[in-house]
Amino acid sequence: MATISAHGIQASLPQGFEGRIFVRPRTGAELTYPVAQFATFALPSAVGDFGSGAVTLMGSSDVFVTLFEYGPESLGTRLFARQGMPRDLAPADFRPTVLRRGIPGQSGTQWFFTEGGRPFTLYVVLGSHALRASLVPRVNGLLRAVALDAVTAPAAGAEAGSPVAATSLPARWN
Amino acid sequence: MVALAVVLCAVVLLLAVLVAGLLRSHADILKALHDLGAGVGDPATPTAVSGRSPSRGTEVPPPLLMGPPLPEERDATTAPAVAGMTPNGDAVGVAPATGGGLTLLAFLSSGCGTCGGFWSAFRQPDRWGFPEETRLVVVTKGPEYEVPRAVAELAAPGLTVVMSSEAWSDYEVPGSPFFVLVDGRSGRRIGEGVANHLSQVAELVRRAVLDARSSLSSSRGRASAEGLDGPARERANDQELLRAGVLPGDPSLYPRTFDDLYGPDGPTAAPRPPAAGAV
Repeated sequence: MATISAHGIQASLPQGFEGRIFVRPRTGAELTYPVAQFATFALPSAVGDFGSGAVTLMGSSDVFVTLFEYGPESLGTRLFARQGMPRDLAPADFRPTVLRRGIPGQSGTQWFFTEGGRPFTLYVVLGSHALRASLVPRVNGLLRAVALDAVTAPAAGAEAGSPVAATSLPARWN
Repeated sequence: MVALAVVLCAVVLLLAVLVAGLLRSHADILKALHDLGAGVGDPATPTAVSGRSPSRGTEVPPPLLMGPPLPEERDATTAPAVAGMTPNGDAVGVAPATGGGLTLLAFLSSGCGTCGGFWSAFRQPDRWGFPEETRLVVVTKGPEYEVPRAVAELAAPGLTVVMSSEAWSDYEVPGSPFFVLVDGRSGRRIGEGVANHLSQVAELVRRAVLDARSSLSSSRGRASAEGLDGPARERANDQELLRAGVLPGDPSLYPRTFDDLYGPDGPTAAPRPPAAGAV
Protein backbone atom coordinates (compact mmCIF):
# COMPACT_ATOMS: atom_id res chain seq x y z
CA MET A 1 0.00 0.00 0.00
CA ALA A 2 1.56 3.29 -1.11
CA THR A 3 1.77 5.99 1.52
CA ILE A 4 1.99 9.70 0.89
CA SER A 5 2.72 12.31 3.50
CA ALA A 6 3.17 16.06 3.46
CA HIS A 7 2.05 19.19 5.27
CA GLY A 8 0.86 17.26 8.31
CA ILE A 9 -1.40 14.90 6.35
CA GLN A 10 -0.63 11.22 5.81
CA ALA A 11 -2.56 8.73 3.73
CA SER A 12 -2.02 5.08 3.01
CA LEU A 13 -3.64 4.81 -0.38
CA PRO A 14 -5.97 1.82 -0.69
CA GLN A 15 -5.67 -0.26 -3.84
CA GLY A 16 -6.73 1.75 -6.86
CA PHE A 17 -6.48 5.16 -5.23
CA GLU A 18 -4.25 8.00 -6.32
CA GLY A 19 -3.55 11.02 -4.19
CA ARG A 20 -1.69 14.24 -3.74
CA ILE A 21 -1.11 16.57 -0.84
CA PHE A 22 -0.03 20.06 -1.70
CA VAL A 23 -0.06 23.73 -0.83
CA ARG A 24 -0.73 26.12 -3.67
CA PRO A 25 1.84 28.87 -4.19
CA ARG A 26 0.89 32.13 -2.58
CA THR A 27 -0.27 35.00 -4.70
CA GLY A 28 0.27 38.42 -3.20
CA ALA A 29 -0.93 38.60 0.38
CA GLU A 30 -3.04 35.49 -0.02
CA LEU A 31 -2.42 32.70 2.47
CA THR A 32 -2.68 29.15 1.25
CA TYR A 33 -3.15 25.97 3.25
CA PRO A 34 -2.76 22.26 2.56
CA VAL A 35 -5.11 20.45 0.23
CA ALA A 36 -5.28 16.68 -0.13
CA GLN A 37 -7.00 15.08 -3.10
CA PHE A 38 -7.69 11.41 -3.69
CA ALA A 39 -9.32 9.65 -6.60
CA THR A 40 -9.84 6.24 -8.13
CA PHE A 41 -8.99 7.62 -11.56
CA ALA A 42 -6.01 9.39 -13.03
CA LEU A 43 -5.91 12.85 -11.48
CA PRO A 44 -5.02 15.52 -14.04
CA SER A 45 -2.10 17.74 -13.17
CA ALA A 46 -4.31 20.80 -12.84
CA VAL A 47 -7.31 20.23 -10.62
CA GLY A 48 -9.27 22.80 -8.68
CA ASP A 49 -9.27 22.51 -4.92
CA PHE A 50 -12.74 20.98 -4.98
CA GLY A 51 -12.30 18.86 -8.08
CA SER A 52 -12.99 21.13 -11.01
CA GLY A 53 -11.22 19.60 -13.95
CA ALA A 54 -11.43 16.15 -12.36
CA VAL A 55 -15.04 15.36 -11.56
CA THR A 56 -15.95 15.59 -15.22
CA LEU A 57 -13.52 12.71 -15.88
CA MET A 58 -15.13 10.38 -13.36
CA GLY A 59 -16.67 7.10 -14.34
CA SER A 60 -19.71 5.75 -12.57
CA SER A 61 -17.56 3.57 -10.29
CA ASP A 62 -15.12 6.35 -9.38
CA VAL A 63 -14.84 8.47 -6.27
CA PHE A 64 -13.13 11.79 -5.67
CA VAL A 65 -12.20 13.07 -2.23
CA THR A 66 -10.73 16.40 -1.25
CA LEU A 67 -9.60 17.56 2.14
CA PHE A 68 -9.16 21.31 2.32
CA GLU A 69 -7.60 23.08 5.28
CA TYR A 70 -8.67 26.56 6.32
CA GLY A 71 -6.73 29.20 8.20
CA PRO A 72 -6.58 29.45 11.98
CA GLU A 73 -9.10 32.28 11.90
CA SER A 74 -11.74 29.60 11.30
CA LEU A 75 -10.99 27.82 14.55
CA GLY A 76 -13.70 28.07 17.11
CA THR A 77 -16.36 29.13 14.66
CA ARG A 78 -19.65 27.24 14.62
CA LEU A 79 -19.05 25.94 11.12
CA PHE A 80 -16.03 24.00 12.31
CA ALA A 81 -17.48 22.95 15.66
CA ARG A 82 -17.44 19.26 14.81
CA GLN A 83 -14.36 17.59 16.30
CA GLY A 84 -12.70 14.96 14.16
CA MET A 85 -12.94 14.03 10.50
CA PRO A 86 -15.84 11.73 9.67
CA ARG A 87 -14.41 8.34 8.80
CA ASP A 88 -17.56 6.29 8.58
CA LEU A 89 -19.85 7.89 6.06
CA ALA A 90 -23.20 6.35 5.19
CA PRO A 91 -24.80 6.13 1.75
CA ALA A 92 -27.56 8.36 3.07
CA ASP A 93 -25.01 11.13 3.60
CA PHE A 94 -24.69 11.61 -0.15
CA ARG A 95 -27.04 13.82 -2.13
CA PRO A 96 -26.97 14.99 -5.74
CA THR A 97 -27.77 18.49 -4.52
CA VAL A 98 -24.57 18.78 -2.49
CA LEU A 99 -22.34 18.80 -5.55
CA ARG A 100 -20.38 21.95 -6.13
CA ARG A 101 -20.90 21.36 -9.80
CA GLY A 102 -24.08 19.49 -10.58
CA ILE A 103 -23.26 16.61 -12.89
CA PRO A 104 -26.13 14.24 -13.66
CA GLY A 105 -25.76 10.91 -11.90
CA GLN A 106 -23.18 12.04 -9.38
CA SER A 107 -23.70 12.86 -5.74
CA GLY A 108 -21.63 14.34 -2.97
CA THR A 109 -21.25 15.14 0.66
CA GLN A 110 -19.37 17.85 2.52
CA TRP A 111 -18.38 18.13 6.15
CA PHE A 112 -16.66 20.89 8.11
CA PHE A 113 -14.67 19.86 11.15
CA THR A 114 -11.65 20.54 13.31
CA GLU A 115 -9.05 17.91 14.01
CA GLY A 116 -5.81 18.35 15.88
CA GLY A 117 -6.42 22.06 16.10
CA ARG A 118 -6.76 22.40 12.33
CA PRO A 119 -9.99 23.40 10.55
CA PHE A 120 -10.87 21.36 7.48
CA THR A 121 -13.63 20.60 5.06
CA LEU A 122 -14.07 17.15 3.58
CA TYR A 123 -15.77 16.99 0.19
CA VAL A 124 -16.53 13.67 -1.45
CA VAL A 125 -18.01 13.02 -4.90
CA LEU A 126 -19.38 9.68 -6.04
CA GLY A 127 -19.40 8.90 -9.75
CA SER A 128 -22.85 7.41 -9.44
CA HIS A 129 -25.45 8.13 -6.80
CA ALA A 130 -27.14 4.86 -7.76
CA LEU A 131 -23.98 2.93 -6.84
CA ARG A 132 -23.46 4.72 -3.51
CA ALA A 133 -23.95 1.53 -1.50
CA SER A 134 -20.86 0.01 -3.09
CA LEU A 135 -18.83 3.22 -3.42
CA VAL A 136 -19.18 4.58 0.11
CA PRO A 137 -17.26 1.66 1.69
CA ARG A 138 -14.35 2.49 -0.63
CA VAL A 139 -14.49 6.10 0.55
CA ASN A 140 -14.54 4.98 4.18
CA GLY A 141 -11.55 2.72 3.53
CA LEU A 142 -9.63 5.74 2.37
CA LEU A 143 -10.80 8.04 5.16
CA ARG A 144 -9.72 5.54 7.79
CA ALA A 145 -6.28 5.52 6.20
CA VAL A 146 -5.90 9.30 6.46
CA ALA A 147 -4.17 10.78 9.50
CA LEU A 148 -3.98 14.46 10.33
CA ASP A 149 -1.17 15.78 12.48
CA ALA A 150 -2.07 18.13 15.27
CA VAL A 151 -0.67 21.63 15.19
CA THR A 152 2.34 21.91 17.44
CA ALA A 153 1.43 25.32 18.79
CA PRO A 154 -2.34 25.74 19.06
CA ALA A 155 -3.62 28.89 17.47
CA ALA A 156 -5.90 31.26 19.28
CA GLY A 157 -9.31 29.74 19.76
CA ALA A 158 -8.14 26.17 19.31
CA GLU A 159 -8.49 23.74 22.13
CA ALA A 160 -5.08 22.36 22.96
CA GLY A 161 -5.02 18.59 23.05
CA SER A 162 -8.53 18.19 21.74
CA PRO A 163 -9.35 14.58 20.94
CA VAL A 164 -8.55 13.71 17.37
CA ALA A 165 -11.50 11.51 16.62
CA ALA A 166 -14.11 12.85 18.98
CA THR A 167 -17.53 13.53 17.52
CA SER A 168 -19.16 15.58 20.18
CA LEU A 169 -21.46 17.52 17.88
CA PRO A 170 -23.84 16.31 15.23
CA ALA A 171 -22.76 16.56 11.62
CA ARG A 172 -23.71 19.64 9.64
CA TRP A 173 -24.39 19.93 5.98
CA ASN A 174 -22.74 22.59 3.99
CA MET B 1 17.96 -74.28 -4.58
CA VAL B 2 15.25 -72.59 -2.59
CA ALA B 3 17.83 -70.43 -0.87
CA LEU B 4 19.19 -69.35 -4.24
CA ALA B 5 15.71 -68.41 -5.47
CA VAL B 6 15.09 -66.40 -2.33
CA VAL B 7 18.36 -64.56 -2.75
CA LEU B 8 17.60 -63.83 -6.41
CA CYS B 9 14.16 -62.53 -5.53
CA ALA B 10 15.67 -60.30 -2.88
CA VAL B 11 18.23 -58.97 -5.31
CA VAL B 12 15.57 -58.30 -7.98
CA LEU B 13 13.41 -56.57 -5.41
CA LEU B 14 16.32 -54.43 -4.27
CA LEU B 15 17.16 -53.49 -7.85
CA ALA B 16 13.52 -52.62 -8.51
CA VAL B 17 13.50 -50.31 -5.51
CA LEU B 18 16.73 -48.69 -6.66
CA VAL B 19 15.39 -48.15 -10.21
CA ALA B 20 12.14 -46.67 -8.87
CA GLY B 21 14.13 -44.32 -6.67
CA LEU B 22 16.29 -43.23 -9.58
CA LEU B 23 13.24 -42.63 -11.76
CA ARG B 24 11.60 -40.60 -9.00
CA SER B 25 14.76 -38.55 -8.52
CA HIS B 26 15.02 -37.97 -12.25
CA ALA B 27 11.41 -36.82 -12.39
CA ASP B 28 12.01 -34.38 -9.54
CA ILE B 29 15.02 -32.93 -11.35
CA LEU B 30 13.06 -32.55 -14.58
CA LYS B 31 10.21 -30.87 -12.73
CA ALA B 32 12.61 -28.46 -11.02
CA LEU B 33 14.24 -27.61 -14.34
CA HIS B 34 10.85 -27.10 -15.91
CA ASP B 35 9.79 -24.74 -13.13
CA LEU B 36 12.99 -22.79 -13.66
CA GLY B 37 12.08 -22.33 -17.30
CA ALA B 38 14.92 -24.39 -18.68
CA GLY B 39 12.75 -25.62 -21.51
CA VAL B 40 12.52 -29.18 -20.26
CA GLY B 41 9.17 -30.92 -20.37
CA ASP B 42 6.06 -30.66 -22.42
CA PRO B 43 6.18 -27.32 -24.24
CA ALA B 44 2.41 -27.41 -24.57
CA THR B 45 2.03 -27.17 -20.83
CA PRO B 46 1.19 -23.57 -19.91
CA THR B 47 3.71 -21.92 -17.66
CA ALA B 48 4.72 -18.44 -16.72
CA VAL B 49 7.35 -16.73 -18.78
CA SER B 50 10.54 -17.38 -16.92
CA GLY B 51 10.97 -15.01 -14.07
CA ARG B 52 8.01 -12.89 -15.03
CA SER B 53 5.08 -13.13 -12.71
CA PRO B 54 1.72 -13.43 -14.40
CA SER B 55 -0.67 -10.65 -13.58
CA ARG B 56 -4.11 -11.20 -12.14
CA GLY B 57 -3.75 -14.95 -12.16
CA THR B 58 -3.52 -15.37 -15.93
CA GLU B 59 -0.60 -15.71 -18.25
CA VAL B 60 0.09 -12.43 -19.97
CA PRO B 61 2.44 -11.59 -22.78
CA PRO B 62 5.63 -9.78 -21.78
CA PRO B 63 5.68 -6.06 -22.43
CA LEU B 64 7.02 -4.71 -25.67
CA LEU B 65 10.73 -4.13 -25.21
CA MET B 66 12.64 -1.05 -26.31
CA GLY B 67 16.42 -0.86 -26.43
CA PRO B 68 18.84 -3.48 -25.15
CA PRO B 69 17.51 -6.71 -23.61
CA LEU B 70 16.69 -6.68 -19.92
CA PRO B 71 17.41 -9.44 -17.43
CA GLU B 72 14.82 -12.18 -17.78
CA GLU B 73 14.33 -12.59 -14.06
CA ARG B 74 12.73 -9.16 -13.80
CA ASP B 75 9.07 -8.88 -12.87
CA ALA B 76 7.99 -7.14 -16.04
CA THR B 77 4.24 -7.37 -15.72
CA THR B 78 3.11 -5.79 -12.48
CA ALA B 79 2.60 -2.04 -12.20
CA PRO B 80 2.68 -1.00 -8.55
CA ALA B 81 1.67 2.43 -7.34
CA VAL B 82 4.30 5.15 -7.40
CA ALA B 83 4.35 7.35 -4.32
CA GLY B 84 6.75 9.97 -3.10
CA MET B 85 7.48 13.65 -2.93
CA THR B 86 7.32 16.31 -5.59
CA PRO B 87 10.32 18.62 -6.02
CA ASN B 88 8.30 21.32 -4.26
CA GLY B 89 7.86 19.26 -1.11
CA ASP B 90 4.30 18.15 -1.79
CA ALA B 91 3.26 14.50 -1.78
CA VAL B 92 1.88 12.53 -4.69
CA GLY B 93 0.80 8.97 -5.30
CA VAL B 94 0.02 7.61 -8.76
CA ALA B 95 -1.74 4.31 -9.45
CA PRO B 96 -0.94 3.58 -13.10
CA ALA B 97 -2.61 0.17 -13.05
CA THR B 98 -6.04 1.67 -12.50
CA GLY B 99 -8.13 4.28 -14.18
CA GLY B 100 -8.34 2.84 -17.66
CA GLY B 101 -5.87 5.07 -19.47
CA LEU B 102 -2.22 4.77 -20.36
CA THR B 103 0.50 5.98 -18.03
CA LEU B 104 4.04 6.46 -19.26
CA LEU B 105 6.50 6.37 -16.39
CA ALA B 106 9.72 8.13 -17.34
CA PHE B 107 12.50 7.26 -14.91
CA LEU B 108 14.94 10.16 -15.22
CA SER B 109 17.66 11.73 -13.15
CA SER B 110 18.86 15.29 -12.94
CA GLY B 111 22.45 14.40 -13.68
CA CYS B 112 22.47 12.06 -16.66
CA GLY B 113 23.24 13.66 -20.02
CA THR B 114 20.70 11.69 -22.03
CA CYS B 115 17.98 12.61 -19.56
CA GLY B 116 18.57 16.27 -20.33
CA GLY B 117 17.04 15.84 -23.75
CA PHE B 118 13.94 14.35 -22.24
CA TRP B 119 13.59 17.04 -19.60
CA SER B 120 13.70 19.60 -22.41
CA ALA B 121 11.35 17.66 -24.68
CA PHE B 122 8.81 17.32 -21.91
CA ARG B 123 8.42 21.09 -21.97
CA GLN B 124 6.75 20.80 -25.36
CA PRO B 125 3.71 18.53 -24.99
CA ASP B 126 2.57 19.23 -28.55
CA ARG B 127 5.68 17.45 -29.82
CA TRP B 128 5.45 14.34 -27.65
CA GLY B 129 3.54 12.31 -30.21
CA PHE B 130 1.84 10.15 -27.60
CA PRO B 131 -1.76 8.98 -27.94
CA GLU B 132 -4.17 11.46 -26.44
CA GLU B 133 -5.08 9.32 -23.44
CA THR B 134 -1.45 8.92 -22.36
CA ARG B 135 -0.46 10.42 -19.04
CA LEU B 136 3.21 11.21 -18.49
CA VAL B 137 4.70 10.81 -15.04
CA VAL B 138 8.39 11.48 -14.44
CA VAL B 139 9.93 9.47 -11.63
CA THR B 140 13.27 10.45 -10.14
CA LYS B 141 15.01 8.92 -7.19
CA GLY B 142 14.11 10.29 -3.80
CA PRO B 143 15.58 13.30 -2.04
CA GLU B 144 18.26 11.08 -0.55
CA TYR B 145 19.79 10.77 -4.06
CA GLU B 146 18.47 13.81 -5.93
CA VAL B 147 18.46 17.50 -5.12
CA PRO B 148 14.81 18.59 -5.23
CA ARG B 149 15.71 22.09 -6.37
CA ALA B 150 17.66 20.74 -9.35
CA VAL B 151 14.75 18.51 -10.31
CA ALA B 152 12.32 21.39 -9.93
CA GLU B 153 14.38 23.52 -12.29
CA LEU B 154 14.36 20.78 -14.92
CA ALA B 155 10.69 19.89 -14.65
CA ALA B 156 8.24 21.64 -16.92
CA PRO B 157 5.38 23.48 -15.19
CA GLY B 158 2.44 21.15 -14.75
CA LEU B 159 4.51 18.02 -15.31
CA THR B 160 3.85 15.35 -12.70
CA VAL B 161 7.15 14.49 -11.06
CA VAL B 162 7.45 11.92 -8.29
CA MET B 163 10.67 11.59 -6.33
CA SER B 164 10.69 8.00 -5.14
CA SER B 165 13.62 5.61 -4.85
CA GLU B 166 11.12 2.92 -3.89
CA ALA B 167 9.50 3.18 -7.31
CA TRP B 168 12.88 2.62 -8.97
CA SER B 169 13.23 -0.49 -6.87
CA ASP B 170 9.66 -1.68 -7.50
CA TYR B 171 10.08 -1.37 -11.26
CA GLU B 172 13.64 -2.73 -11.18
CA VAL B 173 14.90 0.20 -13.20
CA PRO B 174 18.37 -0.67 -14.55
CA GLY B 175 19.37 2.97 -15.10
CA SER B 176 18.20 6.26 -16.48
CA PRO B 177 16.59 7.10 -18.78
CA PHE B 178 14.14 4.20 -18.59
CA PHE B 179 10.51 4.12 -19.60
CA VAL B 180 7.57 1.94 -18.59
CA LEU B 181 4.19 2.10 -20.29
CA VAL B 182 1.27 0.85 -18.19
CA ASP B 183 -2.17 0.08 -19.52
CA GLY B 184 -4.76 0.95 -16.88
CA ARG B 185 -7.35 -1.27 -18.52
CA SER B 186 -5.35 -4.45 -18.17
CA GLY B 187 -3.49 -3.22 -15.09
CA ARG B 188 -0.10 -4.29 -16.42
CA ARG B 189 2.96 -3.02 -18.26
CA ILE B 190 2.66 -3.19 -22.00
CA GLY B 191 6.02 -1.69 -22.89
CA GLU B 192 9.31 -0.78 -21.30
CA GLY B 193 12.93 -0.15 -22.06
CA VAL B 194 15.74 2.30 -22.64
CA ALA B 195 15.58 5.14 -25.17
CA ASN B 196 17.84 7.96 -26.22
CA HIS B 197 15.29 10.11 -28.01
CA LEU B 198 11.66 11.00 -27.44
CA SER B 199 10.79 9.67 -30.89
CA GLN B 200 11.83 6.19 -29.75
CA VAL B 201 9.54 6.47 -26.76
CA ALA B 202 6.66 7.68 -28.91
CA GLU B 203 7.20 4.72 -31.21
CA LEU B 204 7.18 2.35 -28.24
CA VAL B 205 3.92 3.83 -27.01
CA ARG B 206 2.35 3.63 -30.44
CA ARG B 207 3.38 0.01 -31.01
CA ALA B 208 2.45 -1.09 -27.50
CA VAL B 209 -0.98 0.48 -27.81
CA LEU B 210 -1.55 -1.25 -31.15
CA ASP B 211 -0.42 -4.58 -29.71
CA ALA B 212 -2.62 -4.21 -26.65
CA ARG B 213 -5.62 -3.25 -28.71
CA SER B 214 -5.01 -6.11 -31.11
CA SER B 215 -4.82 -8.52 -28.19
CA LEU B 216 -7.99 -7.15 -26.65
CA SER B 217 -9.73 -7.11 -29.98
CA SER B 218 -9.05 -10.78 -30.60
CA SER B 219 -10.36 -11.80 -27.22
CA ARG B 220 -13.02 -9.31 -26.27
CA GLY B 221 -14.22 -7.59 -29.39
CA ARG B 222 -13.65 -4.21 -30.91
CA ALA B 223 -16.04 -2.30 -28.69
CA SER B 224 -14.19 -3.39 -25.58
CA ALA B 225 -10.75 -3.00 -27.14
CA GLU B 226 -11.44 0.54 -28.23
CA GLY B 227 -13.13 1.49 -25.00
CA LEU B 228 -16.35 2.36 -26.76
CA ASP B 229 -19.42 3.12 -24.75
CA GLY B 230 -23.03 4.04 -25.27
CA PRO B 231 -24.43 4.14 -28.82
CA ALA B 232 -20.96 3.73 -30.35
CA ARG B 233 -20.52 0.46 -28.45
CA GLU B 234 -23.95 -0.75 -29.61
CA ARG B 235 -23.12 0.07 -33.22
CA ALA B 236 -19.79 -1.76 -32.99
CA ASN B 237 -21.50 -4.78 -31.48
CA ASP B 238 -24.15 -4.79 -34.20
CA GLN B 239 -21.46 -4.68 -36.88
CA GLU B 240 -19.63 -7.62 -35.38
CA LEU B 241 -22.85 -9.60 -35.14
CA LEU B 242 -23.67 -8.85 -38.76
CA ARG B 243 -20.19 -9.91 -39.86
CA ALA B 244 -20.71 -13.18 -38.00
CA GLY B 245 -23.99 -13.71 -39.81
CA VAL B 246 -26.14 -13.09 -36.76
CA LEU B 247 -29.10 -11.02 -37.88
CA PRO B 248 -31.85 -9.46 -35.77
CA GLY B 249 -34.11 -12.19 -34.45
CA ASP B 250 -31.45 -14.88 -34.64
CA PRO B 251 -32.30 -17.64 -32.12
CA SER B 252 -28.79 -17.50 -30.69
CA LEU B 253 -29.59 -14.06 -29.33
CA TYR B 254 -32.37 -15.47 -27.15
CA PRO B 255 -30.97 -18.40 -25.15
CA ARG B 256 -33.66 -20.12 -23.12
CA THR B 257 -31.63 -22.86 -21.46
CA PHE B 258 -28.08 -23.40 -20.32
CA ASP B 259 -27.65 -25.78 -23.24
CA ASP B 260 -28.30 -22.85 -25.57
CA LEU B 261 -25.40 -21.04 -23.95
CA TYR B 262 -22.93 -23.82 -23.29
CA GLY B 263 -24.04 -26.73 -25.43
CA PRO B 264 -24.88 -30.20 -24.14
CA ASP B 265 -21.46 -30.60 -22.51
CA GLY B 266 -22.06 -27.76 -20.09
CA PRO B 267 -19.88 -24.81 -19.11
CA THR B 268 -16.95 -27.00 -18.05
CA ALA B 269 -16.49 -28.49 -21.50
CA ALA B 270 -13.58 -27.62 -23.71
CA PRO B 271 -13.35 -23.93 -24.58
CA ARG B 272 -15.57 -22.89 -27.44
CA PRO B 273 -14.94 -20.09 -29.84
CA PRO B 274 -16.45 -16.89 -28.47
CA ALA B 275 -19.98 -16.22 -29.54
CA ALA B 276 -20.37 -13.40 -31.99
CA GLY B 277 -22.36 -11.45 -29.45
CA ALA B 278 -19.68 -11.58 -26.79
CA VAL B 279 -18.19 -8.22 -27.58
